[in-house]
Amino acid sequence: MSDQTGKQLSKEEKDARFEAELLPVLDPLYNFAYRLTLDEDDANDLVQETYLKAYRFFDYFEQGTNAKAWLFRILKNSFINEFRKKSKQPAKVDYSEVEGYYNTDDVEGESGVASTTDMRTESVQDLIGDEVASALNALPVDFRTVIILCDLEGFTYEEMAKILDIPIGTVRSRLHRARNSLKEKLEKYAKSMGYNS
Amino acid sequence: MESKFTEAYPKAPDETRQADCEKVSGMLDLMIDGEASSEEQTFFNHHIEECVSCFENHQKQKLLKGLVTGHLKRVIVPKSLVQSIKARIQETL
Ligand SMILES: [Zn+2]
Repeated sequence: MSDQTGKQLSKEEKDARFEAELLPVLDPLYNFAYRLTLDEDDANDLVQETYLKAYRFFDYFEQGTNAKAWLFRILKNSFINEFRKKSKQPAKVDYSEVEGYYNTDDVEGESGVASTTDMRTESVQDLIGDEVASALNALPVDFRTVIILCDLEGFTYEEMAKILDIPIGTVRSRLHRARNSLKEKLEKYAKSMGYNS
Repeated sequence: MESKFTEAYPKAPDETRQADCEKVSGMLDLMIDGEASSEEQTFFNHHIEECVSCFENHQKQKLLKGLVTGHLKRVIVPKSLVQSIKARIQETL
């Protein structure tokens, strides 16, 4: 009813903006959560926590700024502060089964996010994807994180520095080491692609 | 037999070349991530035109990034998640 002064939003305005600006990030955010936790339920919880916090602190979010980077930062902090402690060690499980399940069992779901295309041409892609996923999942979480942020989500070094609270120089060196590790893990695969060493 | 032959060459150009190779190899990530300045790009592109091993390293690094970008499967968001989020937000008001 009253005039808008400063950051004060009515509940309706807040809900509308929350839905328009933050909910569209759900897909990348859930994928990030899954790559961090390597567990569907944990990813679910982490994403819910993130959105709850984002809603609570929505007044601090400036319209037109990078909503995706802001949410990723909240999620990453939640993961470090609360989550990592209580969750089991995720490193040594093979998750390709879960991923396969997700990708083939979406027949009834019309989520539109990752609709299955042609099953025949996809099988080769699946094999490569499985290789990459298990190599990536075997990396330490800090390495996995920078690779996801950079190569899957396309964040710039500057955005990554803000999300991770580290200087750009550290982003660069961590990314470099992460890629070297990933390269080692994928070496077999690379050889089969015709690259030596 | 060939070693005698190469030893006859002065060392300086090789060292410069090696320094350039090191510089270029330190720029691989900047290049594939689109973070290099235009001067860096010029230097880099000029070097890989005449240095096969750096050219190949660049190809490999691009391939590596492409494997993640192009082949890592995205997991599908559970349909109930949006509703859970909205419900939890209304609860906490
Ligand atoms: Zn070179």
